[in-house]
Amino acid sequence: MNTLQLEHISYLYSAGTPYEMRALDDVSLTIRGGTVTGLIGHTGSGKSTLVQLLNGLNRPTAGRVLIDGEDIWEKPKEIARLRYRVGLVMQYPEYQLFEETVRADIAYGPKNMGLSTEEIEARVLEAAEFAGISRDMLDQSPFDLSGGQKRRAAIAGIMAMRPEVLVLDEPAAGLDPQGREEILGGIRAYREKSGSTVIIVSHSMEDMARYCDELIVMANAKLLMQGSCEEIFSHPEELAAVGLDVPQITRVAELLRQRGLPLPESIYTVEQAAAALRQLMGGVGR
Amino acid sequence: MTSITLGQYFPGNSLLHRLDPRFKIVLAVLYITASFLCKSIWSFAALALSAVVLILISRIPPSFVLRGLRPILFIMLFTVVLNVFLTRGETLLIDFWIIHIYLEGVLTALSMVLRITVIIIGTGMFLTYTTTPIALTDGIERLFSPLKVFHLPVHEFAMMMTIALRFIPILIEETEKIMAAQKARGADFSTGSLMQRAKALIPILVPLFVSAFRRADELAVAMECRCYRGGEGRTRMTVLHATAADWVMLAAMILFGAVLLLINRFAPGFAL
Repeated sequence: MNTLQLEHISYLYSAGTPYEMRALDDVSLTIRGGTVTGLIGHTGSGKSTLVQLLNGLNRPTAGRVLIDGEDIWEKPKEIARLRYRVGLVMQYPEYQLFEETVRADIAYGPKNMGLSTEEIEARVLEAAEFAGISRDMLDQSPFDLSGGQKRRAAIAGIMAMRPEVLVLDEPAAGLDPQGREEILGGIRAYREKSGSTVIIVSHSMEDMARYCDELIVMANAKLLMQGSCEEIFSHPEELAAVGLDVPQITRVAELLRQRGLPLPESIYTVEQAAAALRQLMGGVGR
Repeated sequence: MTSITLGQYFPGNSLLHRLDPRFKIVLAVLYITASFLCKSIWSFAALALSAVVLILISRIPPSFVLRGLRPILFIMLFTVVLNVFLTRGETLLIDFWIIHIYLEGVLTALSMVLRITVIIIGTGMFLTYTTTPIALTDGIERLFSPLKVFHLPVHEFAMMMTIALRFIPILIEETEKIMAAQKARGADFSTGSLMQRAKALIPILVPLFVSAFRRADELAVAMECRCYRGGEGRTRMTVLHATAADWVMLAAMILFGAVLLLINRFAPGFAL
């Protein structure tokens, strides 16, 4: 369920003009339903173009996008309905807030879906809880909130549509560690409650290692690698070649290993490193 | 939508591209004046020829220039219809029921169309096609700087124009992003009654205004950080210099006007 498939997707910007640019080149991949998939790649590798194909904001120049085996462009007139199934949180979503209250802003999506007033209210409260928006914040103007709160309100606006697939383009970019934690935690809570498929675009390998089941690596408009965190982060040279990196803690563990500490190779998060070190020290260094 | 360019600047290095923007503004004004001097069919012919010569000098593809005329096609058609049907004259061409078409009407219509076309092409050749918007505002500022004597904020107006021009592509991009974001939340901009469509614009306009004010704020701070305090005592990176070519073009334009007057005087074919 909620499985996304891309079949030989190509996407050209300004096709047929001298400014033509190939943003995606014959990309085929499958994103399994119910997983959290991370999409990584250097700037301009085609990540943002790819996520805008998933909810039909852009139509691929060639190839097909399938959700549960159905081509999303089979009935182009019903593409708006697909956008309720595949919710997309764009980069810096706080700049799309416009209503007088946070409550009304979160309700914008469900209202467009034509739901009843009670249903909308229930969904707004539910989404606000996932995103960590308190009750009193709901009646404030979104423009009075802090940067991180605005971002969470905007994400709640997508969650309130209860999408089966939640796609987030750099949801934690530019936030402090606590803000990142709140947002990524909220996304995890939403997924656990709804069982949806989640796709996160990020530059932070640390966040990816912590929150994702699977990673997709894009480079120069093409798919470079797809696999679990272990599989992807065991290819540091290939990642470095396309301007990416493994998590910092993985490098620290590697250096420690070179100096003779018998640490395991699969260390991608600080928690894993801490656990491994504690074990080495015989459980004393708490 | 990203294909929208302001004006239609066509990069190049022709004689017209290289002229001093101040001279180009003056030349454009003179050229428009010249087009109104035409009174005989022969001076109109000379005017049309001059437009062709300008296009050739600029080395801009004629198809590109003609495409620039498309937006005013309706105005031209309107002028033709009005003149052909409403001008009264002496030589009746068609007299049918309530329709009376006179030769004078047809001639007026033709001369109007030619005049509008030449004005558009002329200003395009001197200004929009061959001058970057920034060079243009620079030229305007310098050309009008004598008005500072009358306490007219010439520099401030020019700075406002520059900033406005600079911001247009940024705001277009911003609009596209916001539209995509609201579409992702199920916004529908293309169906429904006029009222519904106008309402559907609110989710775009509010964030757009918020971001425009934010950008304006940031720009103001950035300018103050670099000690901007108006045009007083400000030096420029590119100083405009009039060259021989500029003076030659100016002389040629004045000569052209004189020639048109002479043609009117000595070859008044179908004088209007």
